Amino acid sequence: MARYELTINGKPHTVEAQPSKLLLDVLREDLDLTGTKYGCGEGQCGSCTVLVAGKARRSCLMSVSQVGQQPVETIEGLAEGDQLHPLQEAFLQKVAFQCGYCTPGMVMAAKGLLTENSSPTRDEVRKAMNNNICRCGTYGRIVDAILAVAEGGNRG
Amino acid sequence: MADRPHLSDASAQARKASYRQETEFAPERFERFDAPRYQFEITRRELWQSLGAGILLTITLPLSAQEPDAARVTRSPRQELSTRFLFSQTDPIRVLTGKVEIGQGARTLLAQAAAEELRLPVSALQLVMGDTDICPDDGGTWASLTTPQTVPAMRQAAAFARELFLELATAKFGQSADALQFTHTGITSGTRQLTYFELAELAESAKHPADAALTPPAEWKTLGQSVPPIEGRAIVTGAKRYASDLKLPGMLHGLMVRGSHYNGKLATLRGEPKLPQNTRMVRDGDFLGVVAPSPELAHEAANSIRAIWRANALLPETRLHEEFMETAREPVAQPGARYPGLITRGDPLNAYWSSQRRLESKYSLAYIAHVPLETRAAIAEWKEGKVTIHYGCQAPFLVRQEVAEAMGIPETSVRILAHDSGSAFGGKQRGEIAVEVARLARDTGKPVKLTWNREEEFTASYVRPAGLLEVRSGADAEGRLRAWEFHNYNSGASGIACHYDIPHAWCGYHPARSPLRQGSYRSLAAVANTFAREMHMEEWAAILKQDPIAFRLRHIADERLREVLERGTAAFGWGRSVRMAGVAQGVACNLEKDARFALFMEIQVSGADVRLRRALMVFDAGAALNPDNLKNQIQGAVVQGIGGALFEKVDYADTRIRNARLSRYRVPRFEDVPDVEVLLIDRREVPAAGAGEAPITVVAPAIAAAIHRGTGHWVRELPLLPALARIVNPGPAAEPARR
Ligand code: FES
Ligand code: FES
Repeated sequence: MARYELTINGKPHTVEAQPSKLLLDVLREDLDLTGTKYGCGEGQCGSCTVLVAGKARRSCLMSVSQVGQQPVETIEGLAEGDQLHPLQEAFLQKVAFQCGYCTPGMVMAAKGLLTENSSPTRDEVRKAMNNNICRCGTYGRIVDAILAVAEGGNRG
Repeated sequence: MADRPHLSDASAQARKASYRQETEFAPERFERFDAPRYQFEITRRELWQSLGAGILLTITLPLSAQEPDAARVTRSPRQELSTRFLFSQTDPIRVLTGKVEIGQGARTLLAQAAAEELRLPVSALQLVMGDTDICPDDGGTWASLTTPQTVPAMRQAAAFARELFLELATAKFGQSADALQFTHTGITSGTRQLTYFELAELAESAKHPADAALTPPAEWKTLGQSVPPIEGRAIVTGAKRYASDLKLPGMLHGLMVRGSHYNGKLATLRGEPKLPQNTRMVRDGDFLGVVAPSPELAHEAANSIRAIWRANALLPETRLHEEFMETAREPVAQPGARYPGLITRGDPLNAYWSSQRRLESKYSLAYIAHVPLETRAAIAEWKEGKVTIHYGCQAPFLVRQEVAEAMGIPETSVRILAHDSGSAFGGKQRGEIAVEVARLARDTGKPVKLTWNREEEFTASYVRPAGLLEVRSGADAEGRLRAWEFHNYNSGASGIACHYDIPHAWCGYHPARSPLRQGSYRSLAAVANTFAREMHMEEWAAILKQDPIAFRLRHIADERLREVLERGTAAFGWGRSVRMAGVAQGVACNLEKDARFALFMEIQVSGADVRLRRALMVFDAGAALNPDNLKNQIQGAVVQGIGGALFEKVDYADTRIRNARLSRYRVPRFEDVPDVEVLLIDRREVPAAGAGEAPITVVAPAIAAAIHRGTGHWVRELPLLPALARIVNPGPAAEPARR
């Protein structure tokens, strides 16, 4: 066991864990941040996507020891009080989900995408998001939601 | 086709099947054929009872007011009454249903149904779903029955509650009903109010109204509107908790030890496992698992066990179709069943042989997996002989029965709390994990959680049946079909009827033996049956050199089905020439579960590569109770259908499933799917048909038709892509001997 000082959604957290423990498991089990989901454990589905130092990463492929001092952002940190992040608002407006299980990972991956490319084309969005799976098949709506934010130029 | 049983072949009757007669079971229990996985030693416990807080309003519905299909839903005697509402002094009105939310929108739709009749906004209600102790058994969440069955049942109960409360309030206030208002908390007259809790207290001794009229569609305020999903905000903020997210105080963590064989039987343990402190092993017959204070310790404990498994090789895939034929049984007509196994009209055999032109084709499809994005998870807690299980399942009442049978306790000693599920698609009807977690938890005195990983989700569950279909048909000199003979081996009876206007028809489902455990899947066998039927129509159109839509219309009497084809022809630009190499259009239509719809697809083929460019679904499900949710379901079903049509396939050999992970089992992704345009035909006055499943049925035939129009190749096998590759690049190794 080792001690880790993590910065998650802007707040410090101290966690006792094996160095190899996955960031996904630390978030879900130790910190009860269950918005980040497990879907495959092998980097295939994107349900576990979080931002590490501003970049979209798979928390199922990253150990807590690899996180180090880098700030981590999860779906729980996106809204400010009652004020939803524009991406959350857009997903809600377009109803870009059914069961909603993929949604946190989709929103975080989209945030990572828009940080790198603030005005992607429809095809660029598809390409960038291709590693996130929605089994309910709401892909078209998710692309619409992301483009609504990109075009609006208001992406927080 | 002499080697197979068909309608004239009496010898098939004599074929002895050594396994259970599936036809004894109601078809919706299709998934429960297999013998239970585990046989436990039984300990009997006492019953106990649990009650929710507040007053449960039980409305006695006159039989005539219950939905017509009610008799077919398994109900315990209590549910002859409609216990739909729970009123308390503090909480919003709670509306009870045995249905669950798996992403199909039932939570919002049923709230709309109750709100409409109670004259309240949806926000005034809170749905309680799938709690077997307090909710009525509405049947499993399957077969798109929420819309045609549960919505009317909910509306009827709400209408009775409304009339009952109005009578009580008019008497109390001395006012006419027109002067009263329904609010979030009660019925008001000016400044005076009777809360719903007070009304429910009064109602306990009141006489119930004899009749309560449903709100006519023309006056709907909530139904027919695109009410956004109730849980939307919780979803986008990550606050929504699925069963896999739950924690209970003092909870322990379970893990199953399964070995890597598909049908492995536990032979023995090598040596005594060196279990970490505070962990325990649970062994009961073939059942082997561990319980530990943390997931890490559970893994350590499991790794310390050296189990030896015995397994028999699975039937080789190359022999699958032979096996289906050899073990096939004759179809059985089941009048009144939802999916009768045999449907006939006229004299198809004579009509076939006397036809001027005849056509015979075979089609097949592979086993596929549901791959719900949320893998199964459940928590069980025993108290005084009763077990409570939290589980994101589709059929809480069936799971209750399954757990009770496995644990040897009465159903009243099992409470299933169904949680909203991260999708299911027919894959979460059974209670495997509920049984496992109940057994793991039984002697611990603590809640125990069990979560399946992705691999278990593939291997410890069940698959959509594979199937072989044989169709032969005959046409007269004018190219009008007059005879239709349709055999489905193994995959199922759902959607087997031929809705084309053909005077002589025989459609039968032959149950057969399957090497893999199989069960329900979105729309059941309607995918297989629609693929074969629509492909066969397409082949006729090609032989007769007719436009496939014109050819179909010549054989369709149903006005609504004609309309979806005609509307789509114009809206899609059917037949417009696209000057691009390999671009082609395809169409398929269906009349399934009372909905009428047609899917138009435009694809681009180059070699064995297929890209989907455009899709338009024209859909008529009667009244659109929540149009945007209906569209969302249709779009999702098309996307899911693309996987099974193009590339999904459970790959197995020897004793194992070989592609039990997402890096090996391909599901549709962003770049695989076109945007799906939906054109809804909303018929307010026509009772709404369920539509979460039906649209998936037309995807494969529409794509296969376009592939034929683009390449000249008939691909009669799902998934299409590997089959197309074998046609385009026939290599010696690429095409194993196939029947
Ligand atoms: S769980 Fe991490 S990518 Fe699937
Ligand atoms: S909404 Fe269910 S997986 Fe995407």
